[in-house]
Amino acid sequence: MKRLLRYVARYRLRYASGILCTVLTATLAMVIPILIRNAINAVQQRHFARVPGFAELIVAAALGMGVVRWLSRSIIFNCGRDIEYDLRNDLFARLLTLSPSFYERLKTGDLMSRMINDLTAVRMMVGLGILTFINTPLYYLYALAFMTSLNGRLTLASLAPYGVLCAGIWRLAHTLMERSLRVQEELGRIGARVQESLAGIQVVKAYTAEEHEVARFREINQTYNAENLRLARVRGMLMPLIRGAAATAAMIVLIYGGFLVTQHRMSLGDLVAFMSYLGLLAWPTTSLGWMLSIYQRGKASMKRLADIFEAAPVPAPSDDGQWGLEVAGAIEWEHVWFSYFASPGTNGGADDGAAAWALRDVNIKVQPGEKLAIVGRTGAGKSTLVKLLTRLIEPTAGRVLVDGRDVRDVPLARLRRSVGVVPQEPVLFSDTLARNIAFGCPGAPRAEIERAAVAAGLVGDLEAMPRGMETRVGERGMTLSGGQKQRVTVARLLTYDPAVVVLDDALSSVDTETEHAVLHTLGESVKGRSMVVVSHRASTVRDADQIVVLQDGVVAERGTHEELMARRGAYAELFRRQLLEEELASY
Amino acid sequence: MGCALAQPYLVKLTIDLFLSGTAHAPAPYFDPLLRLAGGHGLLMMGFCYLLMVAGEFTTFYGQYYLTMAVAQYSLSDLRIALFARLERLPLAFFDSTPVGRLVSRSTTDIDAINEMFNAGSLTILVDLLTLAGIVAIMFALNAHLALWSLCAIPPLLVIINLFRVRARALYREIRDRLAALNAYLSEALSGMAVIQLFTHEAESGREFELLNRRSRDIQRTANIYEAGLFSSVEALSSVTVALILWAGGGEVVRAMIGIGTLVAFIEYAQKFFFPLRDISTKYTVLQSALAATERIKDLMEEVPEAAGAPQRAAPRAALGSTRGEIVFDQVSFAYRPGEPVLRDISFIVEPGRKVAVVGATGSGKTTIIKLLARFYDVTSGRILVDGRDVRAWDLRELRRAIGLVQQDVMLFSGSVGDNLRMGRTGLDDRALMRALERSQALTFVRGLPHGLEEEVIERGANLSAGQRQLLAFARALAYDAPILVMDEATSSVDSETERLLQLALEELLADRTALVVAHRLSTIERADRILVLSKGILRESGTHRELLAQGGLYRRLFEVQYAPPGTGIEPSAA
Ligand SMILES: Nc1ncnc2c1ncn2[C@@H]1O[C@H](COP(=O)(O)OP(=O)(O)OP(=O)(O)O)[C@@H](O)[C@H]1O
Ligand SMILES: Nc1ncnc2c1ncn2[C@@H]1O[C@H](COP(=O)(O)OP(=O)(O)OP(=O)(O)O)[C@@H](O)[C@H]1O
Ligand SMILES: [Mg+2]
Ligand SMILES: [Mg+2]
Repeated sequence: MKRLLRYVARYRLRYASGILCTVLTATLAMVIPILIRNAINAVQQRHFARVPGFAELIVAAALGMGVVRWLSRSIIFNCGRDIEYDLRNDLFARLLTLSPSFYERLKTGDLMSRMINDLTAVRMMVGLGILTFINTPLYYLYALAFMTSLNGRLTLASLAPYGVLCAGIWRLAHTLMERSLRVQEELGRIGARVQESLAGIQVVKAYTAEEHEVARFREINQTYNAENLRLARVRGMLMPLIRGAAATAAMIVLIYGGFLVTQHRMSLGDLVAFMSYLGLLAWPTTSLGWMLSIYQRGKASMKRLADIFEAAPVPAPSDDGQWGLEVAGAIEWEHVWFSYFASPGTNGGADDGAAAWALRDVNIKVQPGEKLAIVGRTGAGKSTLVKLLTRLIEPTAGRVLVDGRDVRDVPLARLRRSVGVVPQEPVLFSDTLARNIAFGCPGAPRAEIERAAVAAGLVGDLEAMPRGMETRVGERGMTLSGGQKQRVTVARLLTYDPAVVVLDDALSSVDTETEHAVLHTLGESVKGRSMVVVSHRASTVRDADQIVVLQDGVVAERGTHEELMARRGAYAELFRRQLLEEELASY
Repeated sequence: MGCALAQPYLVKLTIDLFLSGTAHAPAPYFDPLLRLAGGHGLLMMGFCYLLMVAGEFTTFYGQYYLTMAVAQYSLSDLRIALFARLERLPLAFFDSTPVGRLVSRSTTDIDAINEMFNAGSLTILVDLLTLAGIVAIMFALNAHLALWSLCAIPPLLVIINLFRVRARALYREIRDRLAALNAYLSEALSGMAVIQLFTHEAESGREFELLNRRSRDIQRTANIYEAGLFSSVEALSSVTVALILWAGGGEVVRAMIGIGTLVAFIEYAQKFFFPLRDISTKYTVLQSALAATERIKDLMEEVPEAAGAPQRAAPRAALGSTRGEIVFDQVSFAYRPGEPVLRDISFIVEPGRKVAVVGATGSGKTTIIKLLARFYDVTSGRILVDGRDVRAWDLRELRRAIGLVQQDVMLFSGSVGDNLRMGRTGLDDRALMRALERSQALTFVRGLPHGLEEEVIERGANLSAGQRQLLAFARALAYDAPILVMDEATSSVDSETERLLQLALEELLADRTALVVAHRLSTIERADRILVLSKGILRESGTHRELLAQGGLYRRLFEVQYAPPGTGIEPSAA
């Protein structure tokens, strides 16, 4: 809530003018009943000549009120929009700094729901909510003042039901908030379900699981419905309660006031005016109910947004320029231990706590310009090792060094600018090929993009596309073949031009012929840079300066291809068949 | 509603009967009532009033709850129907439509409709009825004054019409811009790691801000219109009161009506604008809901995949009896008109045979598989499974006959078991374990803290790429289909695991048809036949030996794969 107030404060001037207009509106709205009262009194006293004058005044007041009301609503509501805009930008900026572990906790669809639906609720709070928050007490104040000036005791009597009302509302508020939160959560689950199911639509179709998906979706919807109705049961009580209180107050006035009129202690015109003030209270009283549910819903949503705001970004020193532009490219993993679980050994749960360690005491050193190859069986921890380099994850113990400096001491952007990665899973964005290739440095000259495309062996593919570089690819690169996607990610790395090149099984879906060609040109264009290559193919790793064999998170062997072959250990075992076939083929 | 309507009349009665003291004779039928009440007339009136209020309370609560319930249920029906429709749309649709936009349609757009229920727009009907009731009462009270009070209607209509013309386009635009924002968000969130790795944050932030601004700007415009509509209705309400005073005042003076009637009129006029004001707020919500409905309707009207002809002769049990013969007969295909991806492909896979497809990347291997499972329809030619055109198959039966391991592995959040089952309840854990064992995934699944029950997160992000692929493999094996199709099914798996996998497969494949796409030649050389694809054309076909002997494309591929490094792409001649 405090956070939200800071945003509101940004627009204090506009809010102030909006509030001024609101006050004017309320004032005019209060003047009109006075005019009406005077007019009625005039009629009653047969001074008809004065009535048209009052009527004209009423019209003038009404028109003036129309204008200020229009201003007040547009100004305040637009402040709400602007705050929503600011919040959304800031949330997104925060999301841009959060590490993968955050995204493992919250689903994409749920995050989207927060960024859209929950923000809507917050916007309502700072728009309509604030308007009614100003309006309601104002109307009450005015009406009370007039009412008291007419008859103090009658006013007191008429307020009694409102006291009861406030007590009732107080008790409802907490329930309202709690249930709103549940509704928002369920809405998030719905979004997440749609998102996931449609993102995986191919698999759903291949396994004819459409009906199953729909059934699951129906289930989530049912929970959502139930939660919504639970909320409605409380929210539904607000309006009638408030209206009931207003009507009871009216009744009290009618009886007690009527009694006063018959006793000639009050004029009929006054009673009518009194009643119309009460009538004026109906609207702000109704909005009191709205305000309450808007406020509680906004509060619930703000709580969900706080999950994003309060998630800690990767801590990194700010870029103070100390870190030289040139990175030589020495890399070192120094006694690195890593676990994906917060407390390894307990969460891991398997027979021995060690199972939870993805890496155990890994020590690897790469000199500038060297090529390191990492091999190992599926799940050995190769990608984990690589992810540590760019701080997508942090070592549980030990250090990762680039040019002899702990990566945690390097400004994050500098680090990631120097270490370029082709991730194992190719992810492209629905944009043109050119922009996907230039993703790392938008605005790269066309020639450079094309050179990267050539080096990544994309020329043939581009020729087949009538729009060439300007071809738009589907979400995640969906409209490309598997190998094309991978090569686009390689081209993307080439335009990025980092000091350290990391390829995490980057050409697994590419045929061998193309792979050879790509590796060849790639080798040329990154000559002299340090390279880390993860691969399952013997042909890719054999020329590395250093090959590390990972086994269950531990470095089992290291050395050059020849050394390792001579040892006849894990490495030789791993590539036995590939190498055997190779031998056969060379006969 | 009736209760709400009657209240001002009660006030009039009270005033006329008890308070005004003027000689305006009350209607004779009130006499007995009055006598009954005796001196407690006022109290009685108050009691009646209270009854009405209580009535209003219960009806209001009931009405609210009922509307909410009806709204909830009908909306979730709509949402489910929309989702079901989306699930049935052909893949080509998803090629061009971002998922984020669809999420927007099925959450925020439906929410806009919900807003309509929330704001009680359904009760616009009730409001209109209330209006009619008020007008009727006003006319019954005094036709002359009633006419005066209706003077405000024509200007109101003009204003509403002005608003309506502009609003339609505006709200449509709002929905579209919001959907675009959502689509961007969805993509950015699921590709966040890449954005960060390539320090693209600033750029992404800017792009997002632009979309966000576009969405905000249009909504600001809408706000200004809405506020205008609302304020003019308010203003007109007071103007009407002035009119009544002016016209009615004279009549009271001329003793044509009682002062009570005038007061009642003023009250009715205010009540008259109450629903009008409501309608004007609801109207904006309604317009927005209409725009959302339109967008949803567009989606609902997308043509779903043709379900194909239901199988007549073959009952469910016949599934196992699919022999698994595949025939491609002069198949050509283009994703986009004029850009052929496959040209005139013909081949036959006899039941129980293993056929491998090789070829450079982008040559159309995956496309062949997509056509077989009828994700897309051929542009020309035909594909026969068991002698029947796939278009004549019941789509579900066809896909049930094919166990597919796709090139792009996709896992869903849920347990490992859920991911293997994909909704089939008949599969027990033993069957799953067997599938895992065959696909060499058992060891790692056993090593997971909760084994089969281990939670997989979205896209399987908590597993290694190879592990994901093995799970996808196990999923296909658990499917137990007569035709097994593997598209680069082991590309991310180490060769040792792959070897074990192949050994395990041999037994399983003995009586099944298999279509295998692979780049690693070691994976395919034992196939009964190898098809070599190049740029969408089937260039060679034969066994490993035959093709090597032919000395064509395949031989070249083979030699390159095993060429010593450094020799580039030159074949290292035997
Ligand atoms: N985000 C995560 N949360 C929990 N466990 C994880 C996560 N990512 C990976 N793991 C586990 O850590 C281990 C190492 O995974 P990693 O991705 O490093 O393997 P890899 O060597 O790259 O395998 P592959 O060759 O299949 O790509 C695996 O057992 C995997 O299940
Ligand atoms: N959904 C799509 N829309 C438009 N074009 C597509 C689509 N999917 C694939 N293509 C194009 O069709 C061609 C063949 O793609 P396909 O996926 O069949 O190749 P592939 O042989 O499987 O290649 P790889 O070995 O790289 O997986 C490619 O040029 C690709 O860009
Ligand atoms: Mg990996
Ligand atoms: Mg493919």
